[in-house]
Amino acid sequence: MIRAENLSFTYPNGLQALKDISFHIKKGEFAAIIGRNGSGKTTLLKHFNGLLKPTSGRLLIAGLDTARARTAELARKVGFLFQNPDHQIFLPTVAQEIAFGPRNLGLKGREIERRVAEAAAQVGLTEYLDASPWKLGKGLRQRVALASVLAMGPDILVLDEPTTGQDYRQAREIMAITKALHRKGHTIILVTHDMELVARYAEKALVLGGGRLLLQGPLTEVFSRDDVLAEAGLLPPAVLRLTAPYRKAGLIPGVLTPEDLFREVCTILRGEDHAARILPA
Amino acid sequence: MPPASFLHNLHPLTKVVWSLAVVTAAFFLQGPLPLLLLWASVLAVAGAGKVLRQVLPALKGLALLAGLFFLFQVFLIREGNTVFTLFPAKGIGQVTDVGLYACTVLALRMLAMTSTIPVLLATTNPKDMVVAFVEKLKVPYLYAFMLVTSLRFIPILQEQLDLVLQAQRARGRDLEGRNFIKRVKAVVPLALPLLLVSIRRSRTLAISLETRGFGSGPRTHLRPLAFRPADIAATAACLLLAFLVILL
Ligand SMILES: Nc1ncnc2c1ncn2[C@@H]1O[C@H](COP(=O)(O)OP(=O)(O)OP(=O)(O)O)[C@@H](O)[C@H]1O
Ligand SMILES: [Mg+2]
Repeated sequence: MIRAENLSFTYPNGLQALKDISFHIKKGEFAAIIGRNGSGKTTLLKHFNGLLKPTSGRLLIAGLDTARARTAELARKVGFLFQNPDHQIFLPTVAQEIAFGPRNLGLKGREIERRVAEAAAQVGLTEYLDASPWKLGKGLRQRVALASVLAMGPDILVLDEPTTGQDYRQAREIMAITKALHRKGHTIILVTHDMELVARYAEKALVLGGGRLLLQGPLTEVFSRDDVLAEAGLLPPAVLRLTAPYRKAGLIPGVLTPEDLFREVCTILRGEDHAARILPA
Repeated sequence: MPPASFLHNLHPLTKVVWSLAVVTAAFFLQGPLPLLLLWASVLAVAGAGKVLRQVLPALKGLALLAGLFFLFQVFLIREGNTVFTLFPAKGIGQVTDVGLYACTVLALRMLAMTSTIPVLLATTNPKDMVVAFVEKLKVPYLYAFMLVTSLRFIPILQEQLDLVLQAQRARGRDLEGRNFIKRVKAVVPLALPLLLVSIRRSRTLAISLETRGFGSGPRTHLRPLAFRPADIAATAACLLLAFLVILL
């Protein structure tokens, strides 16, 4: 679905932000991109919809070379949620804001209405359709931005730190929406500094450090490479740090969240295979 | 950090004097050739200060502006012999020899006068500029600070504008290769978020200034700027040259 081949990128001012990056993200996967500030995450994301073009190497989105495709064309395939929703909101009502993208695709009347209603429903904004986006709180503005991206009907969703600056509840709601979209078959690429979020939602992780791809793979694998993570300036989630010695001894593998750990401990303690039954829902 | 040169080390006021001297000279010089020489001298100073490459984009912009100015004016002057007519059939678009001469002089004058500004900005730390104005010219600090802050906002605005543009392109807005009118129409969606984001930002700036006690007492400066012999020499030279030009 998304394939990078020796992708490098240098900003016009001469700063090389990405160095020889290769990876493959399959259709329907949930991938997290992690790394410290300035490691090149946003720069990489901006390649996915052609806002930036590789200086060397290639990036293929569903077989389409981003260097040749127009951004407007890629926008149908790749929905991009920017870190700050305020950069994209400019219309007087939520409904109009959401309709902006489909209108750019050349859609008309009924079809636009349908898309707006659907996108608003997906992010739980139906009751705010006539409100002015500027009057909404930050969490809701973020959802307006997400809905306006969904209305383009993209297969791939790229989210740049969607939960930064939001309270716990808003962050959880955004993530719940993301998860629902993933279940519906969207390919999700998430940039975040919150390792607990990564552990809870993502399937695989790509670790960036100084513009290089230091590590990629399934979460349990990535989170057990303390050496590489330390180089990238990252700390695995608390649960993984807690269980690290056991993992090394070959016990309780595959634990990523507190719920996983609880289940495993119950199984071990009671010798029950179906301890999951006793978990609170 | 920019590469240091003798130009960077001069007192900001010396450079302002140079700038004013060039402006004065530009007013008094008449022919295209002297003005061209004056402009060349500005470029030479920029070259000596190792900032020619850095100011080139700004100079290009200024040259373009002077060119536009030329085009607007040249058709308006009717005196003198007609050199050529743009649409001979209708008799509009007359260009006369007097018009050509006068407009060339005007455009060159404008170019020479404005070209010192990018050189000045490229070789002077904005903070030093404030200190110079406040210490030597007794400009109230508040105004000097306001001026410099608004200058410093320009690159930030540029950055924000880029982000807004990208956010719109990500939603299928195609700004690549459209006609002029459509591009102008596309300004509204750009201007609005930019304005609102900037207002928010300036509010934050105001608050953070207040919380750090801005304007609460007399100020001292970390790097007091001294007027050195080189400054006196350069200032004297500029004044002398300007004076000579006026006399001639
Ligand atoms: N427009 C630009 N021009 C030049 N350099 C840039 C530009 N944008 C980013 N950079 C630089 O590229 C590097 C990577 O930046 P990037 O924004 O991709 O990092 P990031 O991983 O997203 O960081 P953060 O976690 O802070 O969002 C940084 O060193 C940054 O300073
Ligand atoms: Mg970033």
